[in-house]
Amino acid sequence: MSEQIDNLIQKEYAAGFVTEIESDTLPPGLDEDVIRFISGRKNEPEWMLAWRLEAYRAWLKMVEPKWAHVSYPDIDFNAISYFSAPKSAADRPKSLDEIDPELKETYDKLGIPLHEQEMLAGVAVDAVFDSVSVATTFREKLKEAGVIFCSISEAIQEHPDLVRKYLGSVVPRKDNYYAALNSAVFSDGSFVYIPKGVSCPMELSTYFRINEAKTGQFERTLIVADEGSQVSYLEGCTAPMRDENQLHAAVVELVALDNATIKYSTVQNWYPGDAEGRGGIYNFVTKRGVAHTNAHISWTQVETGSAITMKYPSCILRGDNSVGEFYSVALSNNRQQADTGTKMVHLGKNTRSTIISKGISAGHGSNTYRGLVRMNPGATGARNYTQCDSLLIGDKCGAHTFPYIESKNPTAVVEHEATTSKVSDEQLFLCQQRGIDAEKAVSMIVNGFCKEVFRELPMEFAVEAGKLLEVSLEGSVG
Amino acid sequence: MADFIETAASKDSGPPPKYLAAWRAAGIESWRRRSLPTRKTEAWKYTNLRPLEKAAYAARPEADGIDEESLRPLIDIPGLGANRLVFVNGTYSDTLSDYDCADGMTVVRFADANGKDAETIAAHIGRLIDGERHLFAALNDGWTEDGVFVRIEDHAIVTTPLHVVWLTTNASHPFGVAQRLLLLAGKDCEASLIEHFVSTEDAQQVFTNGITELHVSANANLKHCRLHLEQPSAAHIGGVHVSLDRDSRLNSFHLGFGGVLKRIDAVVHHRGEGAHCEMNGIYLPRDSQQIDYHTTIEHAVPRCTTSETFRGIIADRGKAVFNGRIHIHPDAQKTDARLSNRNLLTSPDAEVDTKPELEIYADDVQCAHGATVAQLEDDSLFYFMSRGISREEAKVMLSFGFINELVDRVPVPALAEYLRPRLVARFSDPGLSRHIL
Repeated sequence: MSEQIDNLIQKEYAAGFVTEIESDTLPPGLDEDVIRFISGRKNEPEWMLAWRLEAYRAWLKMVEPKWAHVSYPDIDFNAISYFSAPKSAADRPKSLDEIDPELKETYDKLGIPLHEQEMLAGVAVDAVFDSVSVATTFREKLKEAGVIFCSISEAIQEHPDLVRKYLGSVVPRKDNYYAALNSAVFSDGSFVYIPKGVSCPMELSTYFRINEAKTGQFERTLIVADEGSQVSYLEGCTAPMRDENQLHAAVVELVALDNATIKYSTVQNWYPGDAEGRGGIYNFVTKRGVAHTNAHISWTQVETGSAITMKYPSCILRGDNSVGEFYSVALSNNRQQADTGTKMVHLGKNTRSTIISKGISAGHGSNTYRGLVRMNPGATGARNYTQCDSLLIGDKCGAHTFPYIESKNPTAVVEHEATTSKVSDEQLFLCQQRGIDAEKAVSMIVNGFCKEVFRELPMEFAVEAGKLLEVSLEGSVG
Repeated sequence: MADFIETAASKDSGPPPKYLAAWRAAGIESWRRRSLPTRKTEAWKYTNLRPLEKAAYAARPEADGIDEESLRPLIDIPGLGANRLVFVNGTYSDTLSDYDCADGMTVVRFADANGKDAETIAAHIGRLIDGERHLFAALNDGWTEDGVFVRIEDHAIVTTPLHVVWLTTNASHPFGVAQRLLLLAGKDCEASLIEHFVSTEDAQQVFTNGITELHVSANANLKHCRLHLEQPSAAHIGGVHVSLDRDSRLNSFHLGFGGVLKRIDAVVHHRGEGAHCEMNGIYLPRDSQQIDYHTTIEHAVPRCTTSETFRGIIADRGKAVFNGRIHIHPDAQKTDARLSNRNLLTSPDAEVDTKPELEIYADDVQCAHGATVAQLEDDSLFYFMSRGISREEAKVMLSFGFINELVDRVPVPALAEYLRPRLVARFSDPGLSRHIL
């Protein structure tokens, strides 16, 4: 059996390839001129440039966070190129037929052809290829409903009032080191606005793809759900195989106004580095949502990629009766390191939050759950339930749990539970004895372990997520 | 605050025993090189050291003028029948102490130790402490002038518990006391140790810095209780460091009333296969008191087990911090470790910050931790009230019930009997307690 295991563990990264498209790339390095260049390139208004510069100046004074349970060589921020756009950026394609054939092929290789998606799920795709949006579909249909779904650069041009009002309102520029960096140099990202009372007619989706070597990706996503509206947003990523570490420091801000619902789902499969831990993406993302009265924010994530992950999608439950949810599956195989979790800050009365975190460690992987549940004095009657389970596969991996619980209100109830287990010989034996081979059995057990999270994913994503885990884990029991 | 390092370093601690002089000097050196933790220091994130800042801790006051006989009620635990050592303000009290070395147990004060004992002390002291993690241990080294050394012979069954009391009284000036205890439990032995911190009822100006080291040899069985019953104005930063050899057992119990600054680090190293550690604790801060328990269980070898339960009731403007870390090293297969931390908040201004941590590097292990924070359940209160018991009484009963489970597990029965009425009294006026006891 161990041979099979080795074969499966050593399976090459299936989505690893490089598309050769000429890019318009800045030389590595970061100073105010670079920011002016980025801002100028995007024809941004003066206030936006000032906003970026202020973030940059704040960033210079900040220090890199070192508290996470991960280790990696120091990042040289001057060795990163901060802008890269596909050549055809000036002349943007208006429809699917107009996009670069080679680019389209890239998506085909990944199994996400835009044509099919258009028909398949009624998903509008704002595809980000490196830093500039190249194809946006279903724009018209969304327009009918009054939904704004476009790249953030476009939103800055066309909806400056909305952007100005909400950008940085959830994740302030000085929030943390990487958020400040992102605020200074963000290249592109998505902007969504759902007007009052509108339920978004389709699930919104963006596929990010890091392509240019040595290019940091600094997406900025802003989703505003106005009173009584609803939206479900999907984000999925794959990246080509490269030896160089690539930094990814995105910021995602969600604003759920009174009675609004935002569901944000992520399947992340960036290049995790090879078996010895060379290469791979550094994924240092700040994701946070603010929920106003009766609003509902739900984060669902399946994290199987990236060499280093530091990611804490959070909810600020500001309004009374607001609800925050966090469902996560994080897998770390080979030399991957993940330090991920959530923050639930309860400010309003009767706010509720649920945290379900499933960590799977295999090979030499290290998987850390780090979460904060804070009950502020005003959070009367608030409720939190946290469950984090770890599954260990192999005796060289690590699984860690660091939950912070801070309660300042006696009527608030906080519950935290964590368990650690392995795929036991008995479980395997039971399956094998019934004619299910070892790989299939492990896959079944792992899928069962993650079921509570997969259930929260939209259908197509759940299928993709299951497959991702299968590829990475099947048979890796030793 | 910056001055505290130097002020503390230059405290006049009296002469050390000769065999510890070099070690003590090294402690002060090491302390001088440190900087004090801030809110950004993870291990001190929720506990502020500011109460230490107020006072320049001077040498301990002389024992003269203290009526030692009057202190007896504070230290007597009826039915314990113990060997008792008493230190008043850090000075050994001959009047109050009463111990003999029998049943294979030897008790020697650091100040009296010579020959082989001195060698043993010098060889073992400080060996269990990770100085990087435990900053105040260095200061304790530097302050040590006396201490208790306990040796239990192989195969000895010591039936009488050893009761070590550190008592403080009010003094004209703030002073610092270093408490130190070193225990070596031989193979197959059995013994009980009670560390008892208490003070007179007047305002205290003392800062006690305590370190206890317990070496438990193969197959030995040690019961350990540490009580912090001082007045809230007394500051205490202490550590208990234990190593467990093959198949040994530690059954420990912690009880802490709150204070201006109270921080206890309990560290257990599983060093031999098959060792078992049971650790239970209760913390009860009220008014504007604070208490901070940090526990660390290091599973370095296979097949060891840990069962840890801490419960707290936080009243008024009290604040409790609990950090329970379980660290499973790469080779510690077949470990079974469980940690539970439950907290009751009984007032709108109470606060608790809890962090149960699991750090696991081995796959064939069973680990779980749980933490809850809540108030008394309305349903439970209603149940009592529907049976004619007033809300107040019901609250006392439920609060006491919440911690009584742990009092039941106190490994020394006489001590449990001694503690019960004192704990009930924490929640109510004396009139109510008759219903419960």
